[in-house]
Amino acid sequence: MEALRIEETEDTPRIVLDPENNEFSVSGRSLPEDSVAFYTPVFEWLQQYTEVVENDMDFVFFMEYFNTSSAKQIAKIFLLLEKINEKVFVQVIWKCKKDDVDMASSGMRFSKLLNLEFEVREEED
Amino acid sequence: MEKKIEREINELTLFEGLQREDLVYVYRGLFSQAITDSIIALTENNLTLVGESPKLKKRVFSIMVECLQNITRHQFVDGREDVTADQSGMFVICNKDKSYQMTSGNVVNNEAIPHLTELLEKVNCLDKDALKLYYKQVLEDGSISSKGGAGLGLIEMARKSGNKLFYSFEKIDEAISYFYMNTSISQQLDEVSIDFIDIQDVVALHKFILQKNIMLIFNGGLNQKSLMDILSLINEQAFGCLERKKKMYNAMVEMLQNVVKHGAKLDVEKEGGNPVLFFLSQNGDDFILSAGNYVHTTTVNKIKEKIEFLNSLEAKELEDYYTKCLLNFDVDNSKEAGLGFIDLRIKSCHKIQYEITPVNDTLSFLLMQVTI
Repeated sequence: MEALRIEETEDTPRIVLDPENNEFSVSGRSLPEDSVAFYTPVFEWLQQYTEVVENDMDFVFFMEYFNTSSAKQIAKIFLLLEKINEKVFVQVIWKCKKDDVDMASSGMRFSKLLNLEFEVREEED
Repeated sequence: MEKKIEREINELTLFEGLQREDLVYVYRGLFSQAITDSIIALTENNLTLVGESPKLKKRVFSIMVECLQNITRHQFVDGREDVTADQSGMFVICNKDKSYQMTSGNVVNNEAIPHLTELLEKVNCLDKDALKLYYKQVLEDGSISSKGGAGLGLIEMARKSGNKLFYSFEKIDEAISYFYMNTSISQQLDEVSIDFIDIQDVVALHKFILQKNIMLIFNGGLNQKSLMDILSLINEQAFGCLERKKKMYNAMVEMLQNVVKHGAKLDVEKEGGNPVLFFLSQNGDDFILSAGNYVHTTTVNKIKEKIEFLNSLEAKELEDYYTKCLLNFDVDNSKEAGLGFIDLRIKSCHKIQYEITPVNDTLSFLLMQVTI
């Protein structure tokens, strides 16, 4: 399946969904005015991918910041990953900068809600 | 606490323009290149939003640059590395009486006042051609001070505005004073000249923001772009520690995006985003974010119930409620995720303060305060 790549802007994250290079990631800041519209292509891509997925998946989040409307969209990504996890093994790696208490606790919150292998990983600067 | 809000908002309305939809933008604090850039970007965006002509925007922009450079260069008096809060630089721009009025505020050594006064008076009595000549003369004369200022900036500002520079010196102590200087541009550009600006209005505003320890006031139309510009200004501030800074950033996004999405306009014909009155102040160790906007009176009860409910919850209950709403996809559209107020309540560790005042038959003014 063809990769989906969205470049980072000042209020939206960089998104890479690339099966060929086995890279699945969302990174940066997410505070668009309309987060539903922004994440819709991601949901559509993941839904299609559910049908064709063959390999195990490491899905990386490395967020600097996200607003509450993005939080809901990220939760929707996780629900789609749970679906994919029924077919292959999906591991979520939630990276955050060292000392970023806010992002670390956001990761912990998601991990408790999900039936997914979920690792919160602190990155050195 | 609610009483306190009432008093503050009443005092704020003393200043013409605040609570109206016209632009009022005040920043007080440290001036750096990044801060200057975001002040300019925010103002430009606001002028674009209300549909000002490129010519007027260019004129405002060039004067702002001079004004901000002036403050950046002179924000510390000679021999003092740091200044106390009441001595830090200030920039004010407001849209009033069909003009854009910009005022810089910074400390000066008392001994520099006679020379500055002489220069300002000279500039103020010259007409356009004479100013041009004088500019050339000063440039060739080469008597440029160590900070790069030879009054060239002042001459430029007078030339570009086509109006007088209004100013005032307010003594701080035996060594230094606070210097206010105003440059204004008529929205009709050269067709109308501005004969008088009462600089004491700005002096009073300065006293007020010092008394309330306000660092930033933004009153005007708000959209996603202006939100990003305000955020970049916040990103340049220290706020003690990273965690605090992130909380401030978080709270500001939620408060202001709430206005962008749900705010109402008093004058629906008026161009620009939804009007907001936003100010950031400090009270001891706490930072207080205040945002005021119009809402439809029909929604008032719902807002009240929501805030009162959140205020009644304990930390653990708030966390559970957040999770419940996070996974409630019945409320999930471009306008609403249903999480903003809960997040504000969690981040602030304090109750959300609010006040709702009826404005007319259909609209009310909602003021919210979050303490971080």
